[in-house]
Amino acid sequence: MTSAPLELPEHEALAAEYVLGVLGLAERTAVESRLKREPAFAALVHDWQNRLSDLNDDYAESPAPNLLPQIEARLFPQTVKVRRWFGWAAGALTAGAIAVAAFVMLPPPMPPAPTMTAELSAEASPLRYAAAIAGDQLTLTRLAGTDAEAGKDYELWIIEGDKAPVSLGVLTAASVTIPAPQAAAGYILAITLEPKGGGPDGKPTGPVLAAGPLKTI
Amino acid sequence: MDDPIAQLLSRIAAQDRIAFRQIYSSASAKLMGVLLRILGNRAEAEDALQEVFTRVWLRANRYEADKGRGMTWLIALARNHAIDRLRARRETQSGDEDAMNAVIDTAPHAETRLIAAGEVKRINQCFETLEAEKAAALRGAYLTGTSYLDLAAQFNVPLNTMRTWLRRSLLKLKECMEQ
Repeated sequence: MTSAPLELPEHEALAAEYVLGVLGLAERTAVESRLKREPAFAALVHDWQNRLSDLNDDYAESPAPNLLPQIEARLFPQTVKVRRWFGWAAGALTAGAIAVAAFVMLPPPMPPAPTMTAELSAEASPLRYAAAIAGDQLTLTRLAGTDAEAGKDYELWIIEGDKAPVSLGVLTAASVTIPAPQAAAGYILAITLEPKGGGPDGKPTGPVLAAGPLKTI
Repeated sequence: MDDPIAQLLSRIAAQDRIAFRQIYSSASAKLMGVLLRILGNRAEAEDALQEVFTRVWLRANRYEADKGRGMTWLIALARNHAIDRLRARRETQSGDEDAMNAVIDTAPHAETRLIAAGEVKRINQCFETLEAEKAAALRGAYLTGTSYLDLAAQFNVPLNTMRTWLRRSLLKLKECMEQ
């Protein structure tokens, strides 16, 4: 008869601890990236999920309000959101004209001078950004508002006409300089609130917090 | 085995919006219970519920029916999101007092409720083979997403001791359930 082991193998212990929910944020993030790369490790996590699943009986049901309208508005933006972006874009063209002019008249930090600028804002949001494309760089500067709440990120998108938004990445600071995307006057820059790390599957899921069209100087 | 949630998930993976509405009415109360238990606050739980169902739509194609029941997958999604929120909250404001009191009460009523319902599951029999304190720590950790750090403070033992306790208890639990 073989004697039972005293401890779980390290990788299985980690899988069990992840499912149990006792790990800290950094360890959880490390486990989640392993899950994507290592099918054998993911299988251990599945096993533990199933093994402990009878404990789920102890979660009492609690009636939830009908949040489907908000959820569907986030998920199916083609029908709702894009039209709203264009609404804001039209607003920005008039209301934002003075602000854009003020931004342009600031002394240029370094040559080359910006060739395109945009002012990003939205009615129901305190966030405001100024964007400038100079040479092969896009600089985004926060003019008003604060960092995203814990567990969330701001994500920057560029939208050409009625095509799907293309992510330019998650904003890691109040002001960022990134490689300039393919852009022309009239393309829209937009910032949405997304889960930490950005919208899953490269699509925006959260509300638009600021948006505005690029204008040639 | 009959698993209506799994069937809905496979339709959602094929972009079926009616199935999405059905899964919301079938599962939102259970997931709300999970989120409320872990986050301890209704406003945040409702915010999290929106996020969880957003992910249900986006990730339904990753659900594999041969690896577990649909409801188990949904609850794992909800627990993971709630625990991530809890950790983000905890690590920005150190020394949170809520966590200290969150776990203790979980052991007894789980069992009484199940016994009353006449369905004592294998996992509950296996929990009885563990020392009471360790069973309480394990069950409480699962139900409320309490971290090692907070468990150690709550049971007044060093963090490494708590880790050793739980790892040994998990092994015993696994061996018991395989019998």
